[in-house]
Amino acid sequence: MLAEPKLKSLSELVSDLSQEELIWVNKYLTGLVSSASKEELVKQAVVQQRITIAFGTETGNAQRLATHFATKAKQAGLLVKLVGLDQYRLADLPKEKYFFTVISTQGEGEPPIGAKKFYDFILASAPGLTQLQFAVLALGDTAYPLFCKTGEEVDEQFEKLGGSRLLPLQKCDLDYEATAEKWMVNVLSYLENSTKATNPTIASAVAPAASAKPASRQVYEGTILSKINLNASGSSKRTYHFEIAAEDVNYVTGDSIAITPRNPQEMVTRILSAAKADPEKLVTWKKETYSFEDLLVNKLNISFLSDKSVSQYENIYGNTIPERKISLLALLQKYPVNESQLESIIAHLNPVAPRIYNIASSPLVYPGEVHITVLEEHYLENGEDQEGICTQFLKEKEENDTVSFFIQTNKRFRLPAEDKDVIMIGRGTGIAPFRSFMAERDATGAEGRNWLLFGEEDFTTDFLYQTEWQQYFNTGVLTKVSLAFTNNEEEPFLIQHKLKQQAEEFYAWVQAGAVVYLCGEKDPMGKEVEDTILNIFKEQGNFSDEEAAQYFEQVKKEGRFIKDLY
Amino acid sequence: MAEQDLHKNDKAGNGQQEAPLTVVEKIKTESRGLRGSLQESLQDEITGAVREPDHALIKFHGIYEQDDRDLREERAEKKLDKLYSFMARLRIPGGFMKPEQWVAAHHIAGKYSTGVIKITTRQTIQLHGILKSQLKPTLKQFDQVKLDSIAACGDVNRNVACTSNPYESPLHTEVHAFADKISTFLLPKSRAYYEIWLDEVKLHEHNEPDPLYQDRYLPRKFKIGIAIPPNNDVDVLTNDLGLIAIIEDGELKGFNIAVGGGLSTTHGNPDTYARLATVIGFVSGEENILKATYEVLTVQRDFGNRSDRKLARLKYTVDRMGVGGFKKELEQRCGFKLETPKPYQFTQRSDRYGWMQDHDGNWHYTVFVENGRVTDTKDFPLKTALLQIAETGNANFRFTSNQNIIVSDVSVENKEAIQSLLNQFNLDGFTNAASAFRKNAMACVALPTCPLALAEAQRYMPSFITKIEALLNKYDLQQDGIIARMTGCPNGCARPYAAEIGFVGTATGKYNLHIGGDREGTRLNYKFRESLDEDGLLQELDALFSIYKNNKAADEHFGDFVLREPGLIPIINSQTI
Repeated sequence: MLAEPKLKSLSELVSDLSQEELIWVNKYLTGLVSSASKEELVKQAVVQQRITIAFGTETGNAQRLATHFATKAKQAGLLVKLVGLDQYRLADLPKEKYFFTVISTQGEGEPPIGAKKFYDFILASAPGLTQLQFAVLALGDTAYPLFCKTGEEVDEQFEKLGGSRLLPLQKCDLDYEATAEKWMVNVLSYLENSTKATNPTIASAVAPAASAKPASRQVYEGTILSKINLNASGSSKRTYHFEIAAEDVNYVTGDSIAITPRNPQEMVTRILSAAKADPEKLVTWKKETYSFEDLLVNKLNISFLSDKSVSQYENIYGNTIPERKISLLALLQKYPVNESQLESIIAHLNPVAPRIYNIASSPLVYPGEVHITVLEEHYLENGEDQEGICTQFLKEKEENDTVSFFIQTNKRFRLPAEDKDVIMIGRGTGIAPFRSFMAERDATGAEGRNWLLFGEEDFTTDFLYQTEWQQYFNTGVLTKVSLAFTNNEEEPFLIQHKLKQQAEEFYAWVQAGAVVYLCGEKDPMGKEVEDTILNIFKEQGNFSDEEAAQYFEQVKKEGRFIKDLY
Repeated sequence: MAEQDLHKNDKAGNGQQEAPLTVVEKIKTESRGLRGSLQESLQDEITGAVREPDHALIKFHGIYEQDDRDLREERAEKKLDKLYSFMARLRIPGGFMKPEQWVAAHHIAGKYSTGVIKITTRQTIQLHGILKSQLKPTLKQFDQVKLDSIAACGDVNRNVACTSNPYESPLHTEVHAFADKISTFLLPKSRAYYEIWLDEVKLHEHNEPDPLYQDRYLPRKFKIGIAIPPNNDVDVLTNDLGLIAIIEDGELKGFNIAVGGGLSTTHGNPDTYARLATVIGFVSGEENILKATYEVLTVQRDFGNRSDRKLARLKYTVDRMGVGGFKKELEQRCGFKLETPKPYQFTQRSDRYGWMQDHDGNWHYTVFVENGRVTDTKDFPLKTALLQIAETGNANFRFTSNQNIIVSDVSVENKEAIQSLLNQFNLDGFTNAASAFRKNAMACVALPTCPLALAEAQRYMPSFITKIEALLNKYDLQQDGIIARMTGCPNGCARPYAAEIGFVGTATGKYNLHIGGDREGTRLNYKFRESLDEDGLLQELDALFSIYKNNKAADEHFGDFVLREPGLIPIINSQTI
């Protein structure tokens, strides 16, 4: 059909094209044939690039965003590789050209478990990434001082390794949707123009995330109405139930509150006297001036220092310190420093983090109040029993004392429609949000069935809120209760073992559309419960490993497996 | 059976059965052979209690549901349910255990209960503080050593008591065997116990004809005691049915039969009263003895009050029918006449502490166990000592109705080894050191677990005795074996109305003071003062001991003296109790 010269030119043109380029040409020509204007097609052709979108996720949010981003990118005509960091082949990294990371930060600034290998790889073994053009979307929670820490580190490290930053790091708080959407739009519009642009970065494209808390975050001054140790005498635990009144407090069932603890005065006094430091001396921290004492009491984390903080201490002390996860006081006692050294050490300490507690009340039932369930935490530090800082702070509070807090919205952790069934799985204080769920469902007369699976140490002393559950059970609001108490059995009997015993019924509930909630300690309970659920699906559904995983994935996608682990 | 139905109709004519049946009656008849919903109750995870109707039924399996009343308030504040636990009481006819059974009980108590083995006032043992989830393992392990708790409580014949010490008679073994025979003869026919607790499978399909208990069981608990005179250690006349062994010319001739004993009363309910059994005749020959026993139960089954549990014991039936009427009905059912009662005499109720050698040459050592609580304390490792004795395999264990233990059937050659264990753990020293007053005293369980308790008893009695001992010393009466008993309520578990001095709880720290029972247990005492606190009680006792010391005749017992001394009784009124 083509005249000889034209055909020749075309043959020459395609002869050394790669497979990929051929596909592109094919598309290009198809496009030409279509009704699209020539100009647009040229633009599209120029933009067409291969990009990788990698996500590191714990709760599924980063994955959801990355998937959404991939869809948008494909619609924009890009060739997209979407991959979880847990699956990512590390050897591919130096070959990547456009690499977009969506990654969350856990608790005290750690990467998601699935992204740990990737994180360690880029921080330690450091391949040259000179080809790499990258941008990072970081998810986090401003309630934590090390907000979006992992995202920050990935972003910094890519640059250090020779990568070029296409867009500045974008940090997102819990209400990430709008910010993330904007970032995606910016990325895509950048890629569209990239071939024309000589400078690969557009610094002005996105405003850097504000490090301050959003203006909407209202701090409430609450009054403690009641404080009850829920464990009976003889228990190895102390779990406090607090009822806190705060006028106009506004939250939704499923939300949490954040409380920033103060360090115990006694501990601070001992720190200052160990370094012979003047409590009134003015010192600078993060460009602000405080008295030594004020800073130590109100601002700094001094009870459980990060590895980095200990390394800084090591540098200033001038000798190796083998201990990790140690308190400032313990360090001072073992490796004494003087006042000015202490001042330099303090400059490198992290701010004290607020502690997050699931709200255990429903605003429908207790308007103007929040209830929380607080476990008195102990940990061993060099063989010595130490008390958790916020525990200690709250434990010393008495009725009528005040405590300031803010509401931490928890959009993922919501009750479903009233006719949906709910399965609540929790150990220890993980029961707290379920108390709010049941109060809400009782108050609204929701007709969905409710099943509580709860685990603790001892039936007689540790069945948190027992009489309330009995009331719900006797009135029919609570359909089923399954309990696992470790002390009453010869073999350790945990909530996942109980769940396994109930496999058939559990699967039937899930099949019937139940929403499964999991709350409590991430490790090992959260992990083991999740494994157990996967096994139940496999056995009850007669699935292969792969099919079971797919089924679980589908349940998660439908928002029917919701966890809040810590 | 037609005849019995006729009598039921007669009673309806008397108006006895017109009042509605009690709730418990309905629970019993609907229980499908004592199964009820016990199986389901055990599976209710959210509570440590059993379901309401099972509360009554579980007693027929020898188990009481209780809760720690001391903790109720604190737990309610903590949003925790009451601390429910269960007391399991074994069926041990005549209070006899093999050493391997004691070893098992020791370990089961340690594993599943408070650890204390409580010897009851009716010769069995009970364990407290067993959680619902531990009931099955507890009963299964007892089953492995051939012990059960069937009918140890409930509206059935309970544990059969029998004079404990083989020293009492060369025919002790022969008499004692009746305890086991009667107990087995009067067991309910239901397999419920085996199905619920021991996983013998069939549940619910209930096809176990029980001619004795039918589906109604008895109107109320039923107690049988067997005494070998001259020792009345079992307090035989406080039982619904008392059998008094008649031994003549070295032979067991038969038993005098006494009916209608029972001590429980209710404060403020004048229709209730304590009563000692009335001897109505003599019966001989094993077949007739068992038949008479059986028919006493059927008369009570058919004539007993099923509308008011407070008036349902045999004593009220006997008094309503009249002793003569009761006897006539019984003889009709037996098909033979009772003979005239044979003479007998009781001279004591106390245990014979220390070593006694029986007629076959075997030795028996009675250990004093205060309030029957076998446990280890720092100064007195009683539980460990008994375990070590049991582990030798060279001694049996017998429980007395005074809540003590007889390390029994020790052969001459093993006596020295047992003695050295008694010395090693100071059992000998402890038994000898306790005053006669303390050794004769009893107290019921009461607080914190007994739901009926109005006042303390076993937790308080030891320290209270110490104060009374000071008074006795003042009058040089410390070796006078006055029998004193305390209960936390008027139901009479520790038989306070059959004591020389009885303390009956009315409210926290308050007791009625009863005096005037005899030492042998053939006369009830009288209420002397109402609702006194400790100071009031000690003042009254001080005054009484003073008069007793000064005015008593030689060898006159306290209970007899206060009755004879003018102006003491009746002070409040002349009624018994």
